[in-house]
Amino acid sequence: MSSTREKLIELLASQANTFVSGQWLSNQLQLSRTAVWKQIKQLEADGYRFQAVPNKGYRLIETPKKVSENTLFWGLSTKWLGKVIDHYEEISSTQIIASQHAQSGGQEGLVVVAEKQTAGKGRLNRAWDSNHHNGVWLSFILRPNLIPSHAPQLTLLTATVLARTIEKLTGVKPSIKWPNDILLNDRKIAGILTEMQAEQDAIHHVIIGIGININHKESDFDASIMKRATSLALETDKQYDKRVFIQTLLELFEGQYEAFLSHGFTPVKASWESYAYRFCDVVHYKAGKERAKGKIIGIASDGALMIEDALGNTKHLHSAEIDWF
Amino acid sequence: MIKISEIKELIKVLDASSVDELVYEFENEKLKLKKNVPTFESVPVQTAQPIVTPAIELADDKQPVTVEKVQPDYDYEITSPMVGTFYLSSSPETGPYVKIGDQVTKKSVVCIVEAMKLFNEIEAEVDGEVVTILAENGELVEYGQPLFGIKQK
Repeated sequence: MSSTREKLIELLASQANTFVSGQWLSNQLQLSRTAVWKQIKQLEADGYRFQAVPNKGYRLIETPKKVSENTLFWGLSTKWLGKVIDHYEEISSTQIIASQHAQSGGQEGLVVVAEKQTAGKGRLNRAWDSNHHNGVWLSFILRPNLIPSHAPQLTLLTATVLARTIEKLTGVKPSIKWPNDILLNDRKIAGILTEMQAEQDAIHHVIIGIGININHKESDFDASIMKRATSLALETDKQYDKRVFIQTLLELFEGQYEAFLSHGFTPVKASWESYAYRFCDVVHYKAGKERAKGKIIGIASDGALMIEDALGNTKHLHSAEIDWF
Repeated sequence: MIKISEIKELIKVLDASSVDELVYEFENEKLKLKKNVPTFESVPVQTAQPIVTPAIELADDKQPVTVEKVQPDYDYEITSPMVGTFYLSSSPETGPYVKIGDQVTKKSVVCIVEAMKLFNEIEAEVDGEVVTILAENGELVEYGQPLFGIKQK
């Protein structure tokens, strides 16, 4: 990250209706004309496009779709989430890198983004197919002042933010499968993995990892998951700008997270229930060693899934394997 | 079969309640928990010892077995900070974080408790030796339930 670059991008963006001369830019940035020219070339390599006219200067005409540290900052209106972004073309797993950052004191809001993951993982280290450019793969660090037993609510909060982001950008309303899988037309479009390190009464850090299938074609999916997975592009027949998706996601998350910390889970619960998958359906489930079935009647004030059995008794599930399909 | 951890849980509940005796029967198992209710009229309480000591009888149909109270050789319990599923390893394919006899430090991750797909890596918080594992892999655990017994250094 270079602050000169950020400043240059800001200058160009603020003057996007007019041409700015190289001399003016060099005065503003207190750089030589050659240095400015080098920076402009670098921006072009990142996907910015300029109209350059002799004696008039430069005008920014297109911001890049390509995701990079620089392009992610541009237009991001968050206060703290994503103020430090660690971007990789290819990496093992954003979750692993974010966790390493957190262990060595990485600040709240640090985001790790990868274009490709070679070892993307879901829960219990199950593989998460993310070895291509068509998805958004990111993880970020939170250090919430919560008691650890309330932290699981963050997974439901994240799911509502992800659902809202998808709805905002595509106009299509997804469903949330308890607690935090996002589905479009019964197929999985996004997954969330949340890992925490905490003591009895204090949280060291929480790492939220998000994977969303954005511009995948059918051939991007392995045959084994094709029937269960989909992408925004496949469901809506459009391509999406990953940079815009990430920025919208981070902006919505920051606001919702702050609201959750100050007002608690009640607003999250209402939002979550508006996206609930298979509400009022009867499902089979396994909780610990016990197998049972019951009707989904909502989520409790702490995010637990409420199930009503045949006798009309309500159970609160905090952890369960549910047969959804 | 009722697990020791479940019996412990029941004892806790019984201790805190006004119930003096609890009998639980399921299939061939029978568990009877009874408080030694002190008689305050004649015996003044003079010690700081807990005044309630439940007696445990675990009976089989034909062969009644008495579970003797095992003297714990640990002095620190790692308890669950939340309701959830207890996992001894990070995935079914990998080995457990710790085994009985392992030395741990404050920062050692000893297990995971999962609730609502949040995976909480539990740290030992003390230096010592893992003496006993009090919950079973894949079991649902309650808030405050003991998971490990540690003998501190």
